Amino acid sequence: MSGDALLTVSGLTAGYGPVEVLHGLDFTVGEGEIVVILGANGAGKTTTMRAVSGMIPRHGSIEFAGSDISGSKPDAIVRAGVSQVPQGRGTFTDLTVEDNLLAGGYTLKGSVEEDLDRWFEVFPRLSERRDQKAGSLSGGEQQMLAVARAMMSRPKLLLCDEPSLGLAPLITKELFRVLGTLRDEHGMSLLVVEQNAGMSLALADRAYVLETGSIVATGTGDELLADDTIKEAYLGVVN
Amino acid sequence: MSLFIERMINGLADGSIYALLALALVVVFRSTGQLNFAQGEIGTMGAFFVSTLTLTGLPVWLSIGLAMVLGFVVSAGVERVVVRPIEHRNPGAVIVALIGVFLAVNQAVAMIWGVDARNLPSVFPDDADDFVTIFGAPVRIARLGVIGVLVVVLFLLWLLFAKTKIGLGMRAVANNQESSNLVGIRVGSVLVLGWGLAGAIGVLAAAMLAPSAGLSGSLMLSPFLIASVAAVLGGLDSPVGAVVGGLLIGIVEAVIVGYVDFLGADMLMPVMLVILLGVLLLRPSGLFGSERVERV
Repeated sequence: MSGDALLTVSGLTAGYGPVEVLHGLDFTVGEGEIVVILGANGAGKTTTMRAVSGMIPRHGSIEFAGSDISGSKPDAIVRAGVSQVPQGRGTFTDLTVEDNLLAGGYTLKGSVEEDLDRWFEVFPRLSERRDQKAGSLSGGEQQMLAVARAMMSRPKLLLCDEPSLGLAPLITKELFRVLGTLRDEHGMSLLVVEQNAGMSLALADRAYVLETGSIVATGTGDELLADDTIKEAYLGVVN
Repeated sequence: MSLFIERMINGLADGSIYALLALALVVVFRSTGQLNFAQGEIGTMGAFFVSTLTLTGLPVWLSIGLAMVLGFVVSAGVERVVVRPIEHRNPGAVIVALIGVFLAVNQAVAMIWGVDARNLPSVFPDDADDFVTIFGAPVRIARLGVIGVLVVVLFLLWLLFAKTKIGLGMRAVANNQESSNLVGIRVGSVLVLGWGLAGAIGVLAAAMLAPSAGLSGSLMLSPFLIASVAAVLGGLDSPVGAVVGGLLIGIVEAVIVGYVDFLGADMLMPVMLVILLGVLLLRPSGLFGSERVERV
């Protein structure tokens, strides 16, 4: 861990109606750290994200920057400094690129012009298309927009729900480079859930492996990349 | 020629009222995906409230303002108390519940204000000699005033949606509730606000209509149906469409009543039905409704 824990989750259970999907997760994300939760379809990755960002009822303790947010509503959690890039990007397709970003800064008081300029600088493609409807952007551009929108609320922790989903490998590479930049140049902490083990573990400082709602392995990104079971299950490498 | 102009302007005035009602329907539909069947009745209730207030000596404009507040509260209450709890369990049942609200408000109006028709004063000069001449056609000032009210409401709505933060929130919620939650918009409050706004606009439409149509419990029954057709014609999720649809229907009505003898005023509803069927068959998204542009 490269610092104090920013997010400490312990005994997290959550689900939908009577179905429990997460059976007591423990994980942490440190300051300035990229943590990846690796899991296959149905492992509970999205549920984990939705539980942390307050979108579904959950039990257990979620401590963020010293305060317990396990009972907080989504807007309070955004205000506290946790922002999510949802699965499938979730851009406001009928709104312009600029309005998407302004909506991302909805919880801020006062002017957001500087934030707008900053993220347009980081994502020049978005700047070129600021007056276009988000629905007309390509998948890769929409993913960048979703990241930029999440950054507009000035978060300390960014949650990314399968950002590589549906993107071509080259675009995924570019996206992960941007996520690395957020850590290295903007001091962000990131929690990324992925099934793309190769690229995400290469980016990760630490990683957890999630299987059917429980964490079954943990280590640094490099350790897990070298692990034979992981190779077999997530990279399709058969020894 | 002057008769034609007179009829067209009257058609636009009626169309303005349909446009206001259709706007109210669209504001709700965009955010909640529901057709508010009680929209017209909340308007009728508001118009009766205007009547009561003016009888106490309050100026008409102030009475309308207060009645719009009542419409806001009642409509917002319907969202909070009726729509939201039911929607979580069974979205389809909301339609039935809204028809229930329609009946409840309709009956409440009859119980409170009785069933006798009454006059509602206009907020504009509305005596026998209050008309202006446009290209030789005599046009009542009150009718022009109704068109003016639509223009002002449109301007204010444009300000709200395009220029304010809460307006941005309303557009975001209409587009994607899940993402709105994730960026920290309080979706519940935005929905309540949208319904409230629609309620207030509905009351305004009723208060504009009642002076010429006569105030009774059935004031908004056919205007609501016609406005629904207008909203479908324009595209149920398009505010611009609601306005264009409302004005078009107003013109169509004026033409039929004025020039198509074999149809006339009695056949208005069947004509509306034909328009509705035509739109649904030929262009279900309406004139301006979104066939969404989306790439994935």
